[in-house]
Amino acid sequence: MSAFLQYLITGIARGFLFALLATGFVVIHRVTKVVNFAQGAFAVLGGFIAYSLLRAGVPHGVSEAIAVLAAAAIGLVFGAITILGNMTPVGSLITTIGLAILSEAIAMIAWGTTPLTFSGIGGPDIQVAGVFLQTQYLLLIGVSLVVLVVLWLALDRTYVGKGMTSCASNPYAARLAGINVKRMGLLSFAIGGALGGLGGVLIMPLFPLTYDGDVSLSILGFAAAIVGGLTSPGLALVGGLVFGIAEQFVAGYWSPANESAVALGILLLLLLWQARRHRSEEIA
Amino acid sequence: MKLRPAKITGHLPATVAWVIIAAATLVAPLLLSTPQVIIYVTIGLATMVVAGLSLLMGFAGQVSLGQAAFYGIGAYSAAIMAVHGWPPLLALVLAPVITAAIAGLLGIPLLRLKGHALAFGTLAVQLIMLAVLSETPSLTGGAVGLSGVPTLKIGPIALTGYRQYAYLVWVVAAIVLLVSRNITRSRPGRGLRAMATAPSAASAAGVNVVTYKLRDFALSAAYAGLAGGIYAFFLGYVSPDAFPVMLSIEYVIMVVVGGLGTVSGAFVGAAVIMVISQVLSSIGSSPSLPPQLPNVLSEGVYAVILIAVLRLMPDGIVGLSSRLAKRVGSRFGAQRGEGGQSVEADVTVVAASSTADEPDAPAREAGAKPVNR
Repeated sequence: MSAFLQYLITGIARGFLFALLATGFVVIHRVTKVVNFAQGAFAVLGGFIAYSLLRAGVPHGVSEAIAVLAAAAIGLVFGAITILGNMTPVGSLITTIGLAILSEAIAMIAWGTTPLTFSGIGGPDIQVAGVFLQTQYLLLIGVSLVVLVVLWLALDRTYVGKGMTSCASNPYAARLAGINVKRMGLLSFAIGGALGGLGGVLIMPLFPLTYDGDVSLSILGFAAAIVGGLTSPGLALVGGLVFGIAEQFVAGYWSPANESAVALGILLLLLLWQARRHRSEEIA
Repeated sequence: MKLRPAKITGHLPATVAWVIIAAATLVAPLLLSTPQVIIYVTIGLATMVVAGLSLLMGFAGQVSLGQAAFYGIGAYSAAIMAVHGWPPLLALVLAPVITAAIAGLLGIPLLRLKGHALAFGTLAVQLIMLAVLSETPSLTGGAVGLSGVPTLKIGPIALTGYRQYAYLVWVVAAIVLLVSRNITRSRPGRGLRAMATAPSAASAAGVNVVTYKLRDFALSAAYAGLAGGIYAFFLGYVSPDAFPVMLSIEYVIMVVVGGLGTVSGAFVGAAVIMVISQVLSSIGSSPSLPPQLPNVLSEGVYAVILIAVLRLMPDGIVGLSSRLAKRVGSRFGAQRGEGGQSVEADVTVVAASSTADEPDAPAREAGAKPVNR
């Protein structure tokens, strides 16, 4: 029973990481129609920047905040490279693949190949129903939840949020309404970068990251985002939790070697199911 | 087509050029040092894989991030058959057949996906394949790999030297490129190209979109499987580490750099990227530097090249040079439209091979929205 709870809570924590990444995918895709393969790189770079700042003696909180802002800035630069000028969605996807491997190269030159971690905030472990938990788990879940809810409200209720969504659904009309489509796209990349960076700084104390960890993070984030059809942040959270919990249960009860294969299998089925649904919508 | 500038001045120069290239390819192994011959073989293998991926990306307009998986399936099926005592040549011939069959089966559900969904779907397939290879040690040797692949014998000749492989690889690569060239000029090729730009129009014009796409996918996998089969005999050893996701990404970079949907682009892209990676690894592998540096350097440089090509010459090196040739040709008095139309054409529209008789507007319209959601 306590093992079950342990897997569940670890899975939920991982799930929130995937949800943060997935929401990055959703925000960028909703505004620019681009699927950003470099989404996982934001987490790795953000986490590594926080690691360096903490080693340099910058206090907790400040380090993480700077790292998230830096990740947002990286997102902005990636966005500028990806969406400025004339690019098709597939061209943009290939560009973001290039950016992902570029960030891997940079991360390795700057931080090396060993997995990095730093101690989280939070003091003694707390006990929940017989399970000992680092406070960092609760911090990860709490902070992510607040950020995600605020972001949903901002996207749905504010003028800027509605403007961002309108860019993807009808760029021409959005421009007529006085919305700067490219600027909104850049903003979405900055938000995506910040969300990835936040995920990175929150997860690193619990799960060490390596310079090349971005691909699997991108795939799992994408998988979670696909649950909501790359447009719904709420379903992206659900997807993140499903993949996080599934990952931990497969690793715990079956074999860690199978965890990625199971996640990828679910991703494939989801993609195929949605392709079928889209087709039937087209016919109807 | 890209050979049009040659047509303006007659067929001869193109033919002469091809004869020179063929002769140079055959003489090269005699002049190269052993490490260089190994690179030469690797370029030939990559050319085959890239030729297939180029058909898929340039003609079906779809990105596969799992091409190294088919390379791996070809290598493993050849190695497994040969290790179990099948005649090596038969194993090599069956490798692309098996790979194509697997791709055909996978393609039936997978090709319902388009754009980013197919890219992630194929990536998932490759990762699952790597997991399966590591988890089935009785058949594949697991994570350690499969060693002791016997020597390849073609008739009385046993291929033992690198130079012999250089000839085998390049003869096969030439056949692969020739097949590609004929396909791009046939009805299926035109059908595929129409499909990439305007799927509904193509299907209305009688192109069986689903079947064509599936055949294209299986053929591109067969090329990769063939290259993989040769690779297995060349190295005598296969392991999951030889087929990482990064290799699939490298193939995509080679296609983009060479020029989407152009036959010669496969060779140009593979050669350019391979030579760059060799130069970088010789720079980066001095003993005082960390051992992973060459890899990282090439990753970084690939990324920069990829982005630069996408932004500055979206039709790749071959597209760019044929455009330049066209411009030179038009200066010699030919009444030909400016080649400039392809400047702003995008990667999925097969800019390099777009012919002047194709109407421009629909292509651009479709190019603006290739992912039909």
